[in-house]
Amino acid sequence: MITDRITSFLGVAPLLLLVAVGLSIMLIDAFSKDRSGLALTTAMSLFAAAAISGAIAVRGDLVAPAQITRYLAVDQLGLFFDVVICAGAGLSALLAGGYLKEHGLERGEFYVLLIFTAFGAMVLARAVDLLSIFLGLETMSLGAYALVAYRRTSARAVEGAVKYFLLGSFAAAILLFGSALLYGATGHTDLAGIRDAVGSGAADPVLTILALVMILVSLAFKVGAVPFHMWVPDSYEGAVTPVTTFMSVAVKAAAFAVLVRVLAGAFGDEVSMDLFTGWTPVIVILAVVTMAWGNLAALAQSSVKRMLAYSSVAHAGYVLVGLAATYELGPTAVSAVLYYVAAYTVSNVLAFGSLVLMGSKGKEAVSYEDLAGAGRRHPAAAAPFVVGVLSLLGMPPTAGFFGKYYVFSAAVQAGMTWLAVLGVLASAVGAYYYLKVIVYLFMREPAEDAPIAVPMRSYYVAAALLLSGYYVLRMGVTPGRYLDFAISAATTFLG
Amino acid sequence: MGIGAYLALASVLFGIGAVGFLTRRNMLIQLMSIELMLNSANVLLLAFNRAYPGNHDGQVFAFFVIAVAAAEAAVGLAIVIAYYRVRKTIETDRATLLRY
Repeated sequence: MITDRITSFLGVAPLLLLVAVGLSIMLIDAFSKDRSGLALTTAMSLFAAAAISGAIAVRGDLVAPAQITRYLAVDQLGLFFDVVICAGAGLSALLAGGYLKEHGLERGEFYVLLIFTAFGAMVLARAVDLLSIFLGLETMSLGAYALVAYRRTSARAVEGAVKYFLLGSFAAAILLFGSALLYGATGHTDLAGIRDAVGSGAADPVLTILALVMILVSLAFKVGAVPFHMWVPDSYEGAVTPVTTFMSVAVKAAAFAVLVRVLAGAFGDEVSMDLFTGWTPVIVILAVVTMAWGNLAALAQSSVKRMLAYSSVAHAGYVLVGLAATYELGPTAVSAVLYYVAAYTVSNVLAFGSLVLMGSKGKEAVSYEDLAGAGRRHPAAAAPFVVGVLSLLGMPPTAGFFGKYYVFSAAVQAGMTWLAVLGVLASAVGAYYYLKVIVYLFMREPAEDAPIAVPMRSYYVAAALLLSGYYVLRMGVTPGRYLDFAISAATTFLG
Repeated sequence: MGIGAYLALASVLFGIGAVGFLTRRNMLIQLMSIELMLNSANVLLLAFNRAYPGNHDGQVFAFFVIAVAAAEAAVGLAIVIAYYRVRKTIETDRATLLRY
């Protein structure tokens, strides 16, 4: 009926809103010289999209339960990731509003690319068909490549973009070949059909395993899991910091969403687990090497931006710990993964945002040395940095603590206590380089005649830090509300 | 020709693309290798679709892949040009600014 049509459009309203805003900004940018309102418009539309998704998740009865097409799901899981991705992208837009203006890089296409990349990430997080997975992944990735190359006269930026583009496209080609094999093995491109075909034993096992391996490899590239992480530090360092923030939260979140949908959804039954060894051992190995290498490599960095890049690799490892427990534990483990991704999003925005705040025109804060003594000279500017790194470290009362707690307890409940112990040990290694930031902020003095980074003054950056700081503490003090959302997303997805 | 022949053809194409990507150091040739890999998947999608005459999913998928490959080439070439303007080379061996 017509009302069903309208209500099923409501399910993709956040996506439609972003497309409309993205196209409008493109037009406005072509005809107007005034760029001052773009950051705020972009951030507000992204927050509005997050709010719409949150509202639909709460009042699910307003939306027709059917999928709007066979390609995109309107389910709690998709809505959860909508909120996370839009929040991460919106906060990055606010950071960009301050950063780009301060460093004289403001151009309209930045916000257009940001919105369309976020759109691609949302499509990817809702994708329930191999075709929409491929399209969402490419929409997101092509935007992200261009965003990394945004400061196109900088040798470091274009080098980061070249590495990201070449390896990312290579991964996408592997994903595509895997998808084609899976279509050949099952005769379906939709994940539900694939699940049925594999579950009934109709699919060719060799082709299925080969396809799953290829899909896993390419998704491991996208989440930045070791040994497929080599592009992460380079492109994160080369990109302007707001883009790094965006990539480390929204792009990563969407890649985890599709991992959950493919592994726990399409390949989450016993028959799939009987193929060869099942995927759990593979994810366990990925989690172990990712946590170990991410943390060890982060130790060796002299640049805080690069340290945060390796730390984001390590965090992908913690999420993989939760993912490894999903077959044994079901919804509890999936909800731990979701909560972790949300907690990591706000914590990472806070840490990268503080790094943005610490620099101003002419001198960006990048290395530990740039931060030396800044906390004593500018305590207010250093405060968000402290909260951010403590949350990434997993100290209570911050979001990161409950994120780690749920993920590791999921591993324990799934009978993988040793994996949880390894995770805690890896986090302990992380303490060294996170606390080093605080040591430099408050207990070091800058070297003689070294250029001193002065914090910028920007309402945009301040707003982004206040918002993310608020949610870091809120999710760390009263996690119940956000955990309930994650649990309901996980149970409706698996149940 | 049976499906096995197409599977072999696609695998060989994919292999050539992957080896080309991993061994060549010229960005344009790496870009071409990726295109070859995408097209090998297209061959596979079309060939498999013959085994499932009930739907056209494979055929439709291949059209989308062609469109995406064009978009990817556009962004990729733009990045390569930006790189060339700054560094005056397109050899990936020279891309060594970003290390510790």
